[in-house]
Amino acid sequence: MENTIAVKVDDLTVAYNYKPVLWDIDLEIPEGVLMAIVGPNGAGKSTLIKAILGILKPIAGSVSIYGKPYEKQRQLVAYVPQKGSVDWDFPTTALDVVMMGTYGSLGWIKRPGQKEKKAALEALEKVGMLAFKGRQISQLSGGQQQRIFLARALVQNASIYFMDEPFQGVDASTEIAIINILKALRKAGKTVIVVHHDLQTVPEYFDWVTFLNVKKIATGPVKDIFNDDNLTKTYGINYKVSIQE
Amino acid sequence: MSSAQIEIQLIASLVAVACAIPGTFLVLRKMAMISDAISHSILPGIVIGFFITHDLNSPLLILLAAFTGIITVVLVEYIQKTGLVKEDTAIGLVFPALFSIGVIMIAKNANDVHLDVDAVLLGELAFAPFDRLIIGGTDVGPKSLWIIGMILLITISLLIAFFKELKVSTFDKGLAASLGFSPAIIHYGLMSVSSVTTVGAFDAVGAILVVALMIAPAATAYLLTTDLKKMLALSIGFGIFSAVFGYWVAHWLDASIAGSITTVLGLVFLLVYLFAPSKGVIAVMYREKQQRKEVSLLTFLLHLKNHDEISERHVKHLNEHINWQKVRSRSVLDLALKNNMIDIENQIVSLTKKGDEFTSKAIDYIITNRDAQIEDMKDDFFLFRG
Repeated sequence: MENTIAVKVDDLTVAYNYKPVLWDIDLEIPEGVLMAIVGPNGAGKSTLIKAILGILKPIAGSVSIYGKPYEKQRQLVAYVPQKGSVDWDFPTTALDVVMMGTYGSLGWIKRPGQKEKKAALEALEKVGMLAFKGRQISQLSGGQQQRIFLARALVQNASIYFMDEPFQGVDASTEIAIINILKALRKAGKTVIVVHHDLQTVPEYFDWVTFLNVKKIATGPVKDIFNDDNLTKTYGINYKVSIQE
Repeated sequence: MSSAQIEIQLIASLVAVACAIPGTFLVLRKMAMISDAISHSILPGIVIGFFITHDLNSPLLILLAAFTGIITVVLVEYIQKTGLVKEDTAIGLVFPALFSIGVIMIAKNANDVHLDVDAVLLGELAFAPFDRLIIGGTDVGPKSLWIIGMILLITISLLIAFFKELKVSTFDKGLAASLGFSPAIIHYGLMSVSSVTTVGAFDAVGAILVVALMIAPAATAYLLTTDLKKMLALSIGFGIFSAVFGYWVAHWLDASIAGSITTVLGLVFLLVYLFAPSKGVIAVMYREKQQRKEVSLLTFLLHLKNHDEISERHVKHLNEHINWQKVRSRSVLDLALKNNMIDIENQIVSLTKKGDEFTSKAIDYIITNRDAQIEDMKDDFFLFRG
């Protein structure tokens, strides 16, 4: 796997009130992988994504996207925050939320037009939510809200997708629908990075994995490094995975 | 109407619009209390500005006072960031401190000038037409009309230019940041507009009542629409209506204009709160009652579907079996009959074909939670409207 490096993280340290939540992370994510970030609660999984995207300011270290700082490469990156991070009572429709994905390419002041609307409708169709385009977002189920978020990322037409727990609180059919879309993205050569909780599904869904617990424990292909040893190092208890292929 | 009356209503309406615009975003960002804090803590800014300019309508005074508003926000955030106190506590710590500094400054230095706490807090719209702006010897109208007009113009231009940025950063700060729309810039932009508006409006309606004009119309509009643009339009509409109607209430009652406007704002909110079509208290109560009835109906139909035995389907037995009061059983039976879901023959209840199909579909829906299957049922039943 001597691929191009899509995301490179060097010596990244992030602290909340001088307490490091991520310590000296070095990470290289090759282009075209579907990668899970796993680790216990409070391991800094979401923080890692937010620091890569410049939402949080690290106290040390640097991040590059295809060799350049994130600020120069925004157009290449799409982000799906945790569903719980927004107020779903906000007065807007599903279509409008998806349109927000186009704002990045528009830049300041310029407004979305027909082209952006068309792209948003296409993205809604891809996630099977076209019928709900006019629905107020609080009237959607948890799984539907997650699909809307996914559509909003798809409309950005990025090269790298960061997703923070996209399977949280969704039913089985939505989970399958989402993972199929993620696999399709990988097939199209995109890089997809997912904060993931369900260790059982890691080998089935992902081809790359990063173990994280404040420090990076391991990163690499699932088939090589998803083993009891790394799980134990990450979760601190004796972990037996019975699902290894 | 005299020209002074028209001028007063015009000023009040412009203030209402200038407040409704930032107010809508404050409400959506759950920052209503920040406007209260700003409205108090601009007092020291006004006092200092007044010492320098000796003119309550000077643009320099407005900027200085607005700056105190920004300081309030910064201090609140700083205290909150330490993690030692929560945001509402931080607000409660900062604005009384700044406000009291203003009160002391007035008491120490401004006893003999035209500046007192009442004037700042309550304003006096009735006097606004007396303070004229005279350019080259011509009277071009009341000063406060020009001031609030300018502020409104700036606010509207900013709203049009940055509507999409305001929307995305209000809805999803993380996305806004990752797209390159700095939430901090937008946040402080909004805070600046709110502060300038508060200062610009204080001698018309008073710094305290500005809060009502910012929050009440937006809160009212929020109950009526699920579209941000419509929410803005409705806020503006409620603001103007309350300003004009409040003026006439004050006229009839011979009372404070600002007080009357605020009372009207409160009444408008109360009416909408009670009678709003989908979010209003009465609509919600009605819907819950319907839902209770429909859940009962479904329980009843399911019972019929599960039991072929005659003994289980006798009208009288149903009370005991499903454990309902008589009245409830009666109303459920009536509802089922009215919808042609059941037949009653010799006190024995049985499902009709329609009732049978409906029950299967409803159970299917509850189990799979698939919306598409029940689109056609939604018209008849509240239960499935989510």
